[in-house]
Amino acid sequence: MDADTGLTVRTATDTAAEAVFAEGVVKQINTGGGDLLSILDGLSLRVLAGESVAIVGASGSGKTTLLSLLAGLDLPTAGEIRLDGRSLTELDEDGRARLRAGRVGFVFQSFQLLSGLTALENVMLPAELAGYADAGPRARTVLERVGLGQRLDHYPHQMSGGEQQRVAIARAFAAEPHILFADEPTGNLDLVTGSHIIDLLFELNRSRGTTLILVTHDTALARRCGRVLTLNQGRLHE
Amino acid sequence: MNSPQMPLRETRAGWAAALRHALARLRRGWRSGELLVLALALAVAAAAVVSVGLFSDRVRQAIERGSGDTLGADAIVEGHEAFPADYRERLQGLGLRTAAVAQFPSVVAVVDGQQTQLATIKAAEPGYPLRGALRLSGEPYGPTRAANGIPPVGEAWVDARLWSGLALQPGAHLQVGGSVLRVTALIADEPGRGGAFAEFAPELLMNRADLAATGLIGPGSRVQHILQLGGEPAALAAARRLQRPVGARLLGARDARPEISSALDRAGRFLDIAVLATILLSAAAVSLTARLHSQRLRDEVALLKCLGAGRGFVVRALTLQLVLLGLGAGAVGVVVGGLGQAVLGWFAAPLLNTALPAPGWLPLPQALALSLLMLLGFALPPVLEAAAAPPVRVFQRALDAGVHSQLGLVLAALAVVALVLLQAGAARLALFVIGGASAAAAVLALMAWLLVLALSPLRRRSGVAWRFGLGNIARRRGAAVAQATALGVALLALLLLTVVRTDLLASWRGRLPPDAPNQFLINIQPEQVQPLREFFAAHGYAHLDLWPMARARLVALNGKPVSADSFDDPETRRWINREFNMSWTTGFGDDNKLLSGNWWSAADAGQPWLSAEEYAVERLKLKLGDTLTLDLAGTRVTLTVHNTRKVRWDSFRPNFFLVTPPGMLDSSGATQWITSFYLAPGQHALLRDLVRQFPNVTAVDLDAALGEVRSIVDRMVHALEFIFAFTLGAGLVVMLAVIEASRAQRARETALLRTLGASSRVILQGLLAEYATLGLLAGSVAAVAAQTLAWLLAARVFDIPYGPRPLLWLAGAVAGCAVVTLVGWLSLRGVLRTPPRQVLAGS
Repeated sequence: MDADTGLTVRTATDTAAEAVFAEGVVKQINTGGGDLLSILDGLSLRVLAGESVAIVGASGSGKTTLLSLLAGLDLPTAGEIRLDGRSLTELDEDGRARLRAGRVGFVFQSFQLLSGLTALENVMLPAELAGYADAGPRARTVLERVGLGQRLDHYPHQMSGGEQQRVAIARAFAAEPHILFADEPTGNLDLVTGSHIIDLLFELNRSRGTTLILVTHDTALARRCGRVLTLNQGRLHE
Repeated sequence: MNSPQMPLRETRAGWAAALRHALARLRRGWRSGELLVLALALAVAAAAVVSVGLFSDRVRQAIERGSGDTLGADAIVEGHEAFPADYRERLQGLGLRTAAVAQFPSVVAVVDGQQTQLATIKAAEPGYPLRGALRLSGEPYGPTRAANGIPPVGEAWVDARLWSGLALQPGAHLQVGGSVLRVTALIADEPGRGGAFAEFAPELLMNRADLAATGLIGPGSRVQHILQLGGEPAALAAARRLQRPVGARLLGARDARPEISSALDRAGRFLDIAVLATILLSAAAVSLTARLHSQRLRDEVALLKCLGAGRGFVVRALTLQLVLLGLGAGAVGVVVGGLGQAVLGWFAAPLLNTALPAPGWLPLPQALALSLLMLLGFALPPVLEAAAAPPVRVFQRALDAGVHSQLGLVLAALAVVALVLLQAGAARLALFVIGGASAAAAVLALMAWLLVLALSPLRRRSGVAWRFGLGNIARRRGAAVAQATALGVALLALLLLTVVRTDLLASWRGRLPPDAPNQFLINIQPEQVQPLREFFAAHGYAHLDLWPMARARLVALNGKPVSADSFDDPETRRWINREFNMSWTTGFGDDNKLLSGNWWSAADAGQPWLSAEEYAVERLKLKLGDTLTLDLAGTRVTLTVHNTRKVRWDSFRPNFFLVTPPGMLDSSGATQWITSFYLAPGQHALLRDLVRQFPNVTAVDLDAALGEVRSIVDRMVHALEFIFAFTLGAGLVVMLAVIEASRAQRARETALLRTLGASSRVILQGLLAEYATLGLLAGSVAAVAAQTLAWLLAARVFDIPYGPRPLLWLAGAVAGCAVVTLVGWLSLRGVLRTPPRQVLAGS
């Protein structure tokens, strides 16, 4: 048990060695008029449990598309993707959702907090969905951990961008996910706030032994990850 | 630390988890205020339906009960046997007051005189009549006073005809069977003494305590027993369900008096329109706010799915959330509606000139069912559409589901059908209103679409404010079409009520001009027709329409002999069982409407044709070409149904179920003639002269019935004024909801425009330009639709004339433009004042 958070600490040795696996992934979209645009072109990737991987690339290179495919939010045109050892391509949308529940956490560039819920309620949401009976205390603990213990009942519109992103990070860790996907987590924040958020993200990641897959075009941020992969021409390069 | 249970399984546990989530989400959403608009719309819908439904039901009951005065009771039971004591006890056990009357024909003679006269003897119990009051006078058509109960034992009161027929003097003694009764008053007015269509004989009213002594009641005597009933509608309804003695029938004012029934039906339909218009408005409000709610839900659904919620869970959670919200808001709406109708009733009662009966509970479950239907039919589809939002939307918001499920259309269609069925009493009317509204909505959507297309070139040539405003419409193409449609339906409902309240009711009132016939003359002998015409000509009546009458009995239908036993329907058996009146004519008045076949003309005299009124058509299941063989005093005539028609019985003119061309029945001879005319107040001397000159002719005063129909119209006008005010409020809520729907987006756009340097004035003008255009479009189409609907309703439902009103079209367009612009300005003022920094920071 982690003394600070009271949450279970998981290390790479506890879980399957392979957190994310992708082989020959192709993603094409119809641009209208029958033209197909290839975003990902036979991409392969293997991420071990507990690893932290940064995916960098120019704007429009397909980073977010790749993230949504790896998390099972969308399906590839071809190829295979496995999450926590389970093949996503064999599951329907509900099956993929069940796989995500309690296993996968997200941090988005635009925070994606529900405006009608308070900070506490937003953080409780994934734990509730994962069926944790102690969603409330759990959320409270993580919010205290990110320094928002005094802002539990505040609504998103009453918080600054940095505070909103801290709530989002608390939400991502509340259900103790195996894998955390982060999409440009500092993209909407100023330099100083962004740097604080990143410290917090890596600190929590370290203490929980979570696998982190982070999409960014910020090279400084990418360098803090164990591995940096560049997405170019629809493929990943080490 | 707890480990996660297997979440969101497709089991009961799945429902329980969805319910927990729905409850928590409702609680949280309620606190944050985001569910307020939808809850408000649902509550307003329920409140509007409940208050208008309950209020109109109370008005309906009040009018119906008021019409009991013309029957002398709230209802009567009629039979040819004395009613068993236990039947009467059971009626009293229901809380009903009763008064028994026995009536039979008998010859009355003046003691110490020569004159005798066949009269209807009415022996009544104390308490008679239960409704209205007997009025007495000292001489025919003299000043009247209210009677104090019924004639005391040993006394009799007689009507003007018996008085004249026997040349009575006050205090005269009459031999009635074995008894002698002293005549102490003349009956000037008696509630329930038939309507325009009853048959009259001179009448003597006596105390029932004197009946046995007359010795007139015995085996074989033709006594009609009447039990008057008075009490609350619920008790009367229970009495209708009670097992009646064999051969007895229970009649309300409506059953007994076609002219009142006709007016009551029409009044009921006006109220139905008001209720339907309110339902229409409420449905528009619910549908709009649910659409707005659905837009907000999409992000949430995508996030939930991203966090691991399956679609089944999302659908269950959203449905439960909506149903719980609907039940909560519906319950609040029902309470508010209950209070609302009490306030309506409190204000309306003095104007309606009657105390409104307590509201019944019947409309409550109906209103709740309506709210739930509206919720499921109009709110659930957009919410379920939101459940289809893909999880990847968290990254790409533009990637919307784009799902417009057919389920939505099906549910909305089912809801409409169910709403119509709930209003089953007025299915035809409901179909017109809802069909009309749907057609109008379709036309609106099409026109709005065309407008959006037309705006593109237009806005390039306009100023910056208009360019911005019209640009808004063009850019939010789908939303603009939806907004214009919803606004149009709301305006349609309001305009329809306006048309009904003013034009249709005025037309109805116009059908009963101040000089509508208020006196019927019956029992005119054929040889009196000419002298009577001369009498009236001498009294300044230029024209008198006299109708011949022959008594006939139906003996065969399509060549097959029939008797009362040939029919199952008791009403038909009663009708066939006795001789009925027929007449002949070359033309029909404007109170007759052709249903099928053709009218005939003077040239068709002698044709063996028959014109059948709707009543006869329904009773005998007649169609064109059917033949009826009739026995007229021993002569048999076979007639072919040449046309069918519907009579407007509240025209107060003589009309007949069966009519032939002249030359068919003349040979068997008219047994009597009848006519009707208008007698101005204070002209009762004319009646006195008439009775003196034609003692056998009976004048039937219809003023009371006529007054009752007029009063029904007047009460309707007042009741609709109140309902209209309330519905107007509901309409404004709809418009607010439409405008509220785009508030957040507008706030962002406005902030952006101001950041880019647009002045508040330009932005305001742009918004007003947009709303003025939408309002103009919605108002114009709604006005055309309201006119078309009003015309359809007037022609097909109310049978009253209604011509197009070009001014309404203009008024609708201008009002739509003004109201929508005003509501838009009021609603979005705040948005314009918000500092751009605040809006952009929150987005």
